[in-house]
Amino acid sequence: MSLTMFQPPGNLAEMSADSRTSWDARVRDLFDVSAQMFLSFYNPVGVDVEQRSHRITWPAAPGRLLSTRMSAEQRWAIADADRNEQDEYCEWSLARDNDGKIQRVTFTSEVPDYFDHLLHADEALLLELYGQMSGRVVPIDALRAHGGNVFVGASEFNSSTDGPIVHLSQRNNNLRAAITLTAEATILREIDGQLLSHPQTLVLCGRLGDERRHSDPQIGAAVNGLVAAGADVSLADPPGLYLDGIVTGGLETPDGTDPQEFWHVERGDADHVVRAVFEVPGELGYKVGDITIAGRPINFGAQLAERVHVRVEALSKKSFSAPMDPLPCVA
Amino acid sequence: MADELLADETCRVFSKLSQPQEPGVQRFIVGEDRSPRLMTTAEIAQDLSDPFAALLLLNGVFPSTAQELLDALDAATGEGDRLREQRSFMLGEGSQLPVREVDTDSTNRGLRFLIARGGGNDGPDLIISASHPFEGLVELMAWDMVHQGFNFYRTLGDGGRWVWAGNSRHALQQPTRGKGPFESHPSGNLIMKELKFPWVHWHSFKVHISAAVFEEADVPREHQWFLDKSGAETCETDVVMPSIVRWTNVRFERVLSGAVTIDPVLLIEHVVTCPTVNLASSGTESAAAKLGSSIDLPPGFFVDADAMEAVGLPEPPAFAVPGEMYASSLETFGFHMTDGSFSQPGDTHFAFVVPERAFEDIEVLRQAIARGVISPRLAAALLMVDFPNPVFSRKRAKLLASVPSVPASDPDGLSEAIAASILAASEESPDGTPERDFAARWNLGDDGWRESFSLELNDYYTAVESRLGSQQGFNDFVRLAESRRHHVRDLPIFESRLLFPETNLDRQDLVMSPNGTVTEAAG
Repeated sequence: MSLTMFQPPGNLAEMSADSRTSWDARVRDLFDVSAQMFLSFYNPVGVDVEQRSHRITWPAAPGRLLSTRMSAEQRWAIADADRNEQDEYCEWSLARDNDGKIQRVTFTSEVPDYFDHLLHADEALLLELYGQMSGRVVPIDALRAHGGNVFVGASEFNSSTDGPIVHLSQRNNNLRAAITLTAEATILREIDGQLLSHPQTLVLCGRLGDERRHSDPQIGAAVNGLVAAGADVSLADPPGLYLDGIVTGGLETPDGTDPQEFWHVERGDADHVVRAVFEVPGELGYKVGDITIAGRPINFGAQLAERVHVRVEALSKKSFSAPMDPLPCVA
Repeated sequence: MADELLADETCRVFSKLSQPQEPGVQRFIVGEDRSPRLMTTAEIAQDLSDPFAALLLLNGVFPSTAQELLDALDAATGEGDRLREQRSFMLGEGSQLPVREVDTDSTNRGLRFLIARGGGNDGPDLIISASHPFEGLVELMAWDMVHQGFNFYRTLGDGGRWVWAGNSRHALQQPTRGKGPFESHPSGNLIMKELKFPWVHWHSFKVHISAAVFEEADVPREHQWFLDKSGAETCETDVVMPSIVRWTNVRFERVLSGAVTIDPVLLIEHVVTCPTVNLASSGTESAAAKLGSSIDLPPGFFVDADAMEAVGLPEPPAFAVPGEMYASSLETFGFHMTDGSFSQPGDTHFAFVVPERAFEDIEVLRQAIARGVISPRLAAALLMVDFPNPVFSRKRAKLLASVPSVPASDPDGLSEAIAASILAASEESPDGTPERDFAARWNLGDDGWRESFSLELNDYYTAVESRLGSQQGFNDFVRLAESRRHHVRDLPIFESRLLFPETNLDRQDLVMSPNGTVTEAAG
């Protein structure tokens, strides 16, 4: 059965029918614009031929910081301290107790595009969601600028690293960027007649983002590889970035409880998680900061972010266009 | 035949064994046994308490292939049993070489899978290594719930012939130390050489191993192991590190419970020598250098960064060189990848692969300090001897000869006793010897060592940074890297020439100095 309309990220069911319709129209526009520019990228709505899905995953902790080879504690501290450093389509915020021990880490991959849409489509729902997730009463004026038309994603209610977090706010962490990157990655590239396939090299050659991030090279190489194999590429419905679980091997809890039990999904369906919390239930009598990884207590959210995976889901279908010639690197 | 087997105490001895006549499990612990012999059911029950033995061997099930083993485990366990939880990983020294670029008859790319079954947060219960699901050698490590440690198994030919080659504990005791499988697993641990980011040679989120490494008709291409494989990042955090921590925990718990005495030599060996190494590399693709990307350099090349962190000393800053400088060195030294029949210019997929201290040594050091077995001061004073050479330091290794060989019953006073023994040796040593170096460092006292060592390290880091500012300086480090790779080529973990690039440099034994210069090793 072919896709008839785009669903909201995470298959969230909180929007009215009208708002869902306008969300679909908004996302179609994003796909259509890219499909017009890039021959091997398509809008999956209405496509009725066989398509395959491809899960592309990467760790949530910033690859840029890892590649600098600074010490682990240095990079964890930097990542924890500034949401602008959290540029892998996942951001997090910590809650610490009075002794500075971590009580809870909240991870989000919710795209700001969705909240931007609500500003125009359903202001009441926008404020309700902001109220729920920030725990504060949020005035609408704090979320809009320029006479009310422009959504402010990184407001005081959503820019903290040790307080409320509502959705992604780093400038590259949005749905539009993910769709654009996927579309641009469909261009095959060559150097001296050699077709490129390696992730960082492709990113550098095609100017697909930052080669030191985890996400850009990963998405770029996977999409490019599909096109090289004769496919057209898109993103699966519901388009979005998803939290793909947490790896807890090596985490030691004081009472032997399996730390997987501390990962709680707060928003999104089971296969499309957009918000999750890592927190020890109060009755166990200890906190996240009492858990160790290889003997080292969890003092940073980034220690967990290294174990949280983020996912985007590409779609492919057999291409009926003539194979494109690879292009040289972007000057 | 038995004499020939006795003469070969390496892990290669297993390939010399003839296939046993009947399916079953043979016991052949090199160093203890003269030759393999079929284990009785009673012996299996007594000696082996891992899931492979308990669920299969004891029930007369002797699988012929890796997939048969996994199927047999599924048949022997119920719905929801953790032994049914499977993760597969893939690696190969030639895993970035698609079939169209190599003659697979003459070039062995070392493609193989690691399959982990079961286990909680302390690692899997079974770890299988095989290159094909339905044929060839199968190696298996299985956690023993009663005796603790891993049992090491492998197939001998086909048709369900297995050999039990020992338990992790055999790696640490005579007459089996360093023999058979413990030649390449010197501490009885699971080995993942390329343990850390970016896991060169492994499938990971950083670089995939694509289906192009297989011919269309190759069975593994469409097998679940390949299609559902996880990245090396998960193997590191969910399989290998927890497994190493698990066995190290057992070692220390035995010591601290009084079940076994502390062998100071065995302990300090992890600090001053490198029974094995891990391989680190730049996080940047070698090919990216030509497109202007700078090349970050692995900190463990310059100093024992993880060990310094474990004792609270300053870690190095981020060292990197411009892409052009790195590319120029590839040209100058004729870097190429070859296995003898295949050859292509350039470096490994990720740039600058070098040995660094193995995680298993770091974990022993970390636990020894955390559990109060040795003091940070002793560890730091040992590590600072010849600190610019974090691996293969003959100077630091020489200290082991002065460590008391008498077992200690408890850790109280152990650090002081070890230090006193080296200090005594230093009195009879001339200036410039490692014993004298250690003595000077130890004598800084409880209050003085940290500041003094930190200053020394920071001066060294400044010197390295300065040398990285010139092509000549970087080229010296490239020569040093090649010298260290030559050491690895002598180790049993070196199984393929494609592990490293080759160069036009003659073999030299080079060392780094505290001023950041590279010289020939003395003597």
